[in-house]
Amino acid sequence: MEVNLPGGAYIRESTFGFSILLTIHVVSMCWFLGLVLMMDLRLVGIANLRTKASEVSPRLLPWQIVGFIVMAISGVLLFWAQPLRYFGKTFFWIKMGLMILAGINAGVIHLITHRSEAAWDSRAAKFAGAASIVLWVAILALGRLVAYDWMTTEYLVE
Amino acid sequence: MLLPFFKWMEGLAVYGPSIYLGPAVNIVHLSAMVTFLGALLIVDLRLLGAGLTQQSTATVARDAQPWLLGGLIILTLTGIPAVMATATLQYSNSVFWVKMYLLAIAVIYTFTVRRKVAFAAEGRFGSGTMKAVGLLSIVMWLMVAAFARLIMMIPANTFEFLVG
Repeated sequence: MEVNLPGGAYIRESTFGFSILLTIHVVSMCWFLGLVLMMDLRLVGIANLRTKASEVSPRLLPWQIVGFIVMAISGVLLFWAQPLRYFGKTFFWIKMGLMILAGINAGVIHLITHRSEAAWDSRAAKFAGAASIVLWVAILALGRLVAYDWMTTEYLVE
Repeated sequence: MLLPFFKWMEGLAVYGPSIYLGPAVNIVHLSAMVTFLGALLIVDLRLLGAGLTQQSTATVARDAQPWLLGGLIILTLTGIPAVMATATLQYSNSVFWVKMYLLAIAVIYTFTVRRKVAFAAEGRFGSGTMKAVGLLSIVMWLMVAAFARLIMMIPANTFEFLVG
């Protein structure tokens, strides 16, 4: 039996509920991460070079937030419907840990760059941009791997 | 008509006995999709009058182009083995065919209409046209991504009324 959070069974048992939710999660992830990647690649200094890094970041931020909100809501709902399934997955917990690190890293980028225009092109900013790419690709990979039953503890009892 | 071809592809057993190759290819495919969509979106948002508005659309598009093309090439290189590994299942899945038709339309649109408008000199096209072109691009490619995820997840006959 899966534990039932309010409304969770509805998502889990409806024909298309889980599929549609997961699809929304993946598509919003592509949106969010695509724009984060464009920003990070500029920060590192290998893409979108005709625009200043100090312009790319704030101008893409609102659109990243749009993607993040949809991704976060659909992600929470996916967990809500099957909490025990995800609770037993090592990849899920590593993914959550890396997301916290990615959040801290975003804060670090802000701290590095908010002081001056020149700081956007500093070595520290480049390093933090590269760290963001590595973290998010790892999060994407772990998110995909959660679907398989590797490193999974089965808490569900039939 | 294409069934023998799909059977032949599956017979090649591209992933061999490996249980890790499939997921690995899948993760590269997803990463390429993220790259492709990022490069697509900064231009489409610019066409909509948002995002990197301090540059002209053509400037943003020129910067994004190598990542758009690179992303698409890796998407293709990783998408082909993914289809080959489960070719007969894909063949008989209406969701797969909807994705492929959408993909074909989106690719043609991206390298004809969208390319012409995105790379045009400033003022050549009205802002209404540019917005429509950008919005259509976003909608089409998000649909391609969505239908790709739905393959093998919703019943295979879901879209049979559309693609026979």
